[in-house]
Amino acid sequence: MLQPAAVTVKNVTQSFRVIHERPDTVRELFARFFQSRTSYQDFLAISDVSFTLEKGHMLGILGRNGSGKSTLLKVIAGVYKPSSGSVQLNGSIAPLLELGAGMQPELTGRQNIILNGLLLGYSKREMRMREQAIIDFADVGDFIDAPVKQYSSGMYMRLAFAVATEVDPDILIVDEILAVGDFAFSQKCLERLRQFRQAGKTILFVSHSAQQVLDYCDRALVLNCGSVVFDGTADEAVKFYKGISAPAEAVVEAFI
Amino acid sequence: MRRPGTPLGFRLIHQVARYTDSMISLVREMYKYRELIWALALKDLKIRYKRSVLGFLWALLNPALLMIVLTVVFSTILSWNIPHYAVFLLSVLLPWTFFSQSLSYAAESIVGNGDLIKRIAVPIIVFPVAAVVSNMINFLLSIIPLALIVVVLGHPLHWTWIYLPVPLLALTIFTLGATFFFAAANVYYRDVAHILQILLQILFYVSPIIFTIEFFPEKYRWLFKLNPLVYFLNGFRLSVYYGLLPKWPSVTASFACAFISLAIGLAVFRKHQRNFVFYV
Repeated sequence: MLQPAAVTVKNVTQSFRVIHERPDTVRELFARFFQSRTSYQDFLAISDVSFTLEKGHMLGILGRNGSGKSTLLKVIAGVYKPSSGSVQLNGSIAPLLELGAGMQPELTGRQNIILNGLLLGYSKREMRMREQAIIDFADVGDFIDAPVKQYSSGMYMRLAFAVATEVDPDILIVDEILAVGDFAFSQKCLERLRQFRQAGKTILFVSHSAQQVLDYCDRALVLNCGSVVFDGTADEAVKFYKGISAPAEAVVEAFI
Repeated sequence: MRRPGTPLGFRLIHQVARYTDSMISLVREMYKYRELIWALALKDLKIRYKRSVLGFLWALLNPALLMIVLTVVFSTILSWNIPHYAVFLLSVLLPWTFFSQSLSYAAESIVGNGDLIKRIAVPIIVFPVAAVVSNMINFLLSIIPLALIVVVLGHPLHWTWIYLPVPLLALTIFTLGATFFFAAANVYYRDVAHILQILLQILFYVSPIIFTIEFFPEKYRWLFKLNPLVYFLNGFRLSVYYGLLPKWPSVTASFACAFISLAIGLAVFRKHQRNFVFYV
């Protein structure tokens, strides 16, 4: 029996209106009005992107800075409504777009766990049930009852990662988060991702590290200037990506 | 969109049906996200009273201290001819504070939560609603010192207090509509929050808060009746201070204003909400 795809992205285009010196105040608005000059252009962050991702797979997304990776993830996560095209999701989704987005510095770790869960669309009861597991994974000790603003950046990230992964989403979006944090923490996160895969969850994974994509993903997309320029196995995608970004990497290597 | 063949009455019914639909979906959304709204409202209050020794007690103390000052100023220094002026004033000043603080908080609520909106797919409407809810909690707490002062001053504790939920409901609906409008407008132009402060100050002095309409010559009174707040505040003052109930036309006017405000605010908000994420 054919299982429905976990993520179906169909002809998604996201344009941003880049307004040169957008009038931020009413005074500027009036000034602009009398000049009757509009100075904006539409910028296509991603154009006509389509792909489907089967349940239980882990898709890597490669691309240089500004190639549209983050925009694509935000469209999938529902933060942006695409200008055209559609995104279909099968199952609950947890976006790890930027760790700690929903953290309130004045609230304690425990209060933040509940609030973050509610922001992700879970109920208070569900969060109370998972609270202990989250605290265990975050491993912040007695700080769990201290305001989050007193946390070290490592504790902060551990708590955020723990909330997003303990809520047991069907689809996880991971955006470069493993670039931050110390070695032990990224190992712990990668271990968690491995468990996720084994549990048959679907993961979208953005990383600058081609090695991580090779190690964890079975399939990868390469984005360039907002379009999918390659879609295939992780091996081939990494080769392709190295090919298109060779000049830039050669410069970096020359410095090392 | 004007279709020449459609009679005006039909178009009107169509519009009303659309607005009603929109309001029903708002109620549904508020119910669905009730836990999130409540958590955000409590967070607002916690941050407002953070690090203060007395904490939530300030919600009670603020009006209490204000009452003492007002009583001293107006009854002994100005010696106005209004008995128990503190009760007279506070019966409408507290709902006014609820209204004006809700608007001030809500106008900033979307921009202030911009970081969150840009990263998590969260229904944006919960932020202005949470701002209203947190000020509602504050208002309900301030009812306690009001009741105390009524007793202390020896003002009768009228049975009409039980009528208070009615004007409060109307005022809340009106406030929600206004907060949706100003919260949306402030996303596009940050001046709105500043303009709002000026508007609120003007509105304070043209509303019957420190005086009543009867202070003014008969021929100018109709001007005040154009101010929708008159009908809400009237309900509060009549039931707390005079021990009377407002007349039907006044009650009807207050709910009419409330629902018109909500229809407009909600329509503006819904029309623009998908673009907010690009402007915060």
